[in-house]
Amino acid sequence: MVWLAESASSVYPVFDPASPFAEAIYSLFLKVLAISAVIFLIVAGLITVAVIRFRDKTGGNGEVPKQDFGSHKQEIFWLVGPVIIVVWLAAISAKLVFTVNAVPQAHPDAGEQPDEEIEVRGHQWFWEVKYPGHGIVSANEVHLPVGKKIRIKLTSEDVIHSFWVPQLTRKMDAIPGRDNYFWIGASKPGVYQGRCTEFCGMVHAWMNFKVYAHDEAEWEEWIAAHTKDPELPTGGLAAAGQKIFETATCIDCHMISGVGGTTMIAPDLTHFSSRGEIGGGVFVNNRENLEKWLSDPQKWKPGCKMPNFKLDPEELQQVVAFLESLK
Amino acid sequence: MTGELINEISVLWSWLSPAWLLIGACLAAYLVAFWGGLETRSWWFAGSLAGLFVAYVSPVYALADGVMFTAHMIQHLVLLLIVPLCFLLSLPRARMAEWLARPKVEPLGRLLSFAPVGWALGLSVMWVWHVPTLCTASLQSSWLGVFQDVTFVVAGLAFWWPVFSPVKAQRLAPASAALYLFTACVGCTLLGIYLTFTPISVCPVFARPAAGTGLLEAVRAGGFSAGMDQRLGGLLMWVPPCVLYAGAIVAVCRRWYAGDEEAAATGESLEASESVK
Amino acid sequence: MNGEATDSIEQDGGAPKDGATAEAPMGKILSWVTTVDHKRVGIMYILTAVFFLVIGGCEALLMRIQLAFPENDFISPAFFNQMFTMHGTTMVFLVGMPVLIGFANYFVPLQIGAKDVAFPRLNAMSFWMLPFGGFLLYYSFMTSTAPDAGWFSYAPLSTKPYTSLGGVDYWILALLVMGIGSVAGAINMAVTVLCLRAPGMSLQRVPLFTWMAFITALLTILALPALNSALAMLFIDRWLGAAFFEPARGGSALLWQHFFWIFGHPEVYILVLPAFGMISEVIPVFSRKPIYGYSFVAGSTVVIFLLSYGVWAHHMFAVGLGMFADIFFAIGTLLIALPTGVKVFNWTATMWGGSIQLKVSMLFAIAFLIEFVLGGLTGVMFAAVPVDWQLTDTYFVVGHFHFVLIGGTVFGLFAATYYWFPKMTGRMLSEGLGKLQFVLWVVGFNLTFMLHHFLGVMGMPRRVYTYSDEPGWALLNGLSSLGAVLMALGTLVFVWNLWISKRKGKVAGNNPWGGFTLEWATTSPPPVENFTELPEIKSRRPVWDRDHPELADWKSAKTPEDKGWRPFKGKMAISAFVASEVVFFVLLLVSFVVFNSGDRGGLDGPSPLNVPRTGVFTFILLASSVTFWFAERALRGGNQGGFLRWLLITIVLGLVFLGGQAIEYAGLIQSGITIHSNLFASTFFTVTGFHGFHVFGGIVALTILFILGRKGDLTQKRSKVFSAAGIYWHFVDVVWIFVFAIIYLRVLQ
Repeated sequence: MVWLAESASSVYPVFDPASPFAEAIYSLFLKVLAISAVIFLIVAGLITVAVIRFRDKTGGNGEVPKQDFGSHKQEIFWLVGPVIIVVWLAAISAKLVFTVNAVPQAHPDAGEQPDEEIEVRGHQWFWEVKYPGHGIVSANEVHLPVGKKIRIKLTSEDVIHSFWVPQLTRKMDAIPGRDNYFWIGASKPGVYQGRCTEFCGMVHAWMNFKVYAHDEAEWEEWIAAHTKDPELPTGGLAAAGQKIFETATCIDCHMISGVGGTTMIAPDLTHFSSRGEIGGGVFVNNRENLEKWLSDPQKWKPGCKMPNFKLDPEELQQVVAFLESLK
Repeated sequence: MTGELINEISVLWSWLSPAWLLIGACLAAYLVAFWGGLETRSWWFAGSLAGLFVAYVSPVYALADGVMFTAHMIQHLVLLLIVPLCFLLSLPRARMAEWLARPKVEPLGRLLSFAPVGWALGLSVMWVWHVPTLCTASLQSSWLGVFQDVTFVVAGLAFWWPVFSPVKAQRLAPASAALYLFTACVGCTLLGIYLTFTPISVCPVFARPAAGTGLLEAVRAGGFSAGMDQRLGGLLMWVPPCVLYAGAIVAVCRRWYAGDEEAAATGESLEASESVK
Repeated sequence: MNGEATDSIEQDGGAPKDGATAEAPMGKILSWVTTVDHKRVGIMYILTAVFFLVIGGCEALLMRIQLAFPENDFISPAFFNQMFTMHGTTMVFLVGMPVLIGFANYFVPLQIGAKDVAFPRLNAMSFWMLPFGGFLLYYSFMTSTAPDAGWFSYAPLSTKPYTSLGGVDYWILALLVMGIGSVAGAINMAVTVLCLRAPGMSLQRVPLFTWMAFITALLTILALPALNSALAMLFIDRWLGAAFFEPARGGSALLWQHFFWIFGHPEVYILVLPAFGMISEVIPVFSRKPIYGYSFVAGSTVVIFLLSYGVWAHHMFAVGLGMFADIFFAIGTLLIALPTGVKVFNWTATMWGGSIQLKVSMLFAIAFLIEFVLGGLTGVMFAAVPVDWQLTDTYFVVGHFHFVLIGGTVFGLFAATYYWFPKMTGRMLSEGLGKLQFVLWVVGFNLTFMLHHFLGVMGMPRRVYTYSDEPGWALLNGLSSLGAVLMALGTLVFVWNLWISKRKGKVAGNNPWGGFTLEWATTSPPPVENFTELPEIKSRRPVWDRDHPELADWKSAKTPEDKGWRPFKGKMAISAFVASEVVFFVLLLVSFVVFNSGDRGGLDGPSPLNVPRTGVFTFILLASSVTFWFAERALRGGNQGGFLRWLLITIVLGLVFLGGQAIEYAGLIQSGITIHSNLFASTFFTVTGFHGFHVFGGIVALTILFILGRKGDLTQKRSKVFSAAGIYWHFVDVVWIFVFAIIYLRVLQ
């Protein structure tokens, strides 16, 4: 099953919520926008009227206007509106904070239990994604069942990153030495764009990810496909590629369940060919792009930890074949 | 928090509390003392009484007694800040001026108007009663608890006196009053930060309260953990007092810009003596 | 004229004043380099800022060119990261602060009728720290790399494991140097306003620009030390192997954010309050009316000052502080909208019913009002926490703060430049060129930054060096870059206007705009000591009163009389300095408590400190405060011998205390505990080390006073100076009481 990189569906993701959490934030945002627009129109209107009405057309030789030093009553009168607005804004934001953010940070076990828990860990520059309930490890893609309440446990391996899927939930920082918990969910199936929003070093720009929301059947299928190790090639190009993968130190950084690897320095590649993208959004995952990527990773994602292995064309074909076999 | 919890809390009014005697006695004493000299400002005294009501009759009282650190904190703040402030504001100016001019009372007024005393008292009660051992002790011994409450009110009076003394001559000059309040705000900010962010349980009674209170279980089940309790308490120690102090600074500024002749004159004498030095 | 001011300048030992006489070119340059005249220092501040504005602007242009097209490879990601780091740092520390300090330097003494600032030589020193800091910062380009961790250098990205090259070190050093200069300049400014006002100029009558400069100075004094203490800790991390901000070794990534924003949020007001002040001068003059509700405008500034210290965590809503903290900080932030709204109302009300002259200065002031309201409203959106969760760290926030800092600060500055240029040079800026610049800027600015809001809503994160071709992104980014080009053109027009008008502009005369405040009562440009004669000051608008005797303010609007309060400037300066040091030490102590309570792992096992022995040395240090007090009494009483004796004892006690610290250090180091051993040791050595430096500095100062006393230069007559030094010495002792209680007695753990 291949999750083709459908382009993320929304142009204005903040205005196009697809989960109860994002929906709630969006409706608050609309209220705030509306009230701001009204305030702006009033203030800008008053200023415009003042400029037009009281503009001096005599070139500075006209009568001296009345010298008005102000009035306490007026000031207080004009403060009433803003005070009411501020109180109202504080109240509606507080209410929403309690509902959207109601994941106790220190005691993840108290409070409402999630349907699924996903662990996400930011790395320079990819996202490690684990499904502890299913023993699945993956990277740069988060898969969710639709309509469920899912808790993400977020942390970071190195520097501070920030996990943001505007259509689905609030933004949360991934901070080394600290676990943050928040809710995520999707009310309809689809592909949702996620990005790292905290500057995290050289290629912060290429730390994108996608969230795939599946309906129940699809979700079961996905879980089933990913709890198994991939079928390893028995011969041909792909098997030769596996050999290179194991000997040319690829395996020192990338883990592949069933093949080996022990450290998570680079993205786990277990079901690589089912992924939509390469390099945190640098490329759509297809043969041509994979070749481009492997022949010079530093050209496409400067500063990333993957060196140019200077594979000759034949080796390149073999590694590509191997990676493509990881279904 | 859940609706059930709200129901549980709503039965916690201590309607039969002996605190009514205290409230009644205070009201009677106030009326007796100032009868005939009452001014419009005397309505502020209702604020003091309301403060006592919140501290001893409302659910805050029951919750403060070893259930919620937050409620404990609200009780402290009401006793330390609201009750004395409203009382000072309610005092009839003429009567107080006359009374404070008496030879026997005069030294007390002078002591109260010496700003370092009020500042130190106001801040030290905040800090001292949150030393873990003392905080726990005050909850375990009812007499110590009463003593604690009395120190809050007394320290609160001493704290507000240099800013809102009924006698203008005893007030700080505006700039000094602003500094006084600003530094006090820094003081409670630090305490608030400490309570909010420290991993230590400042008042362990609340973190490990004696078992058996169904109420507490309800509170915890509502998702309100001991850690959250302390953090909220810390924020209460921090933000409301600072907002109140900022408000007081605005009041002082208003007084200053109004060019209140009398206040300015007294302020000036202080300032003048300063600049002579 | 002004007795106090005259005295003060004499006290400063007649620092050389440079006339505007014709000199040889070299001599002319030298006269600028050696000047201590507040006006020349002010102009140098402004010119330095303009120089760095051009550099910071070029950095912005490079970024905008890179972002004009998707997946552009005009500059490398490494260079892009250096560009936005340097752009932010430059614009905040080398443009925003200096240009505002420059205007304050030039106009505050003029507006209060003083001859100069309180400490002219300190003023020159503060200024020269600035080019020195700027040089340090930009020198990094000659080394391995420029700073590239963003202008707020979030840890742990800024720590050695993730940024091993030297750029961040230059960044730290440059900011420390400039921070010290800013604090010194701010102390000078605050003391000037308090101590050098002309007779009649009560604090309730100072022009609003002066008032805002005063509040800004207070903000600077209390905010910059927070940054300095964070920078010191980061530097110790990077060079001495401590781990304050390295989570991998027990440190805290969030502590840096807290410390940085405790500085960073007041910094926003440091950048915007002076612009508020400028607007509050420009709008009334060009409406020919007094400011509406002076006390509300001034008072709301005090409220902003107070609130600005309580809202730093709204920069951190996305870090997961917990709901209560989020809500409290949101409320604090929303509250700031109220005093700000009061100001906007008052500016509008000032125009209402006036006789508005649409000079370029006024045009910029009106643009300021509109753009700033927009920037303020998006700020209110961010105060609603959930909206912040969506939009923080996206281009929406980039749009927001540029609306505040350009729509607010920069437009205010342009308004002020057109308003005050005639006073500074004697010539008018060209109105025609000014209007061209105005159009280019308003169009360019809105094009660039209005679109950023949309990009944010479309999901574009800030600080990305490139982006993939999402629908709409290329178009909006391209237009945004086009807007930046328009602003650059506008800047060229502006610089040309300055250049040509300085030479050929219309001669201005003393008061071309019909201004109200004292700077318009002197010649343009003003003579070296500013005034030959001051008008009588009986209201907030002395020059108006002079020009319109029949409509004089003091007849219709009473303001509090000046009672002549002018405190001793030495005492004020030391007190302000001590206040700033308090902030520095408080943050260091906070870090000690953070790292040594609970399971943070500061210290496993018993404390290696010798409490009884240090108790004795504590007693000795405290005793030195008492002996100092005896010395002070002896000096005041005219007992020179007793004074010197007690002072000597004080110095010796201080040295004994330092000896005690040396023993403590030696013991710890022998048992293998050094600053990088663990977090306990890091915090211990940092706190006590800085305290030791302060004791040492105090001892040096006391020794100098001792020598002066021996030579007969410090006698009863100047005991005020000695008392001022005493404030510092007592402060050092008080700090130790807290250090002893927290570190040795561990009262908070």
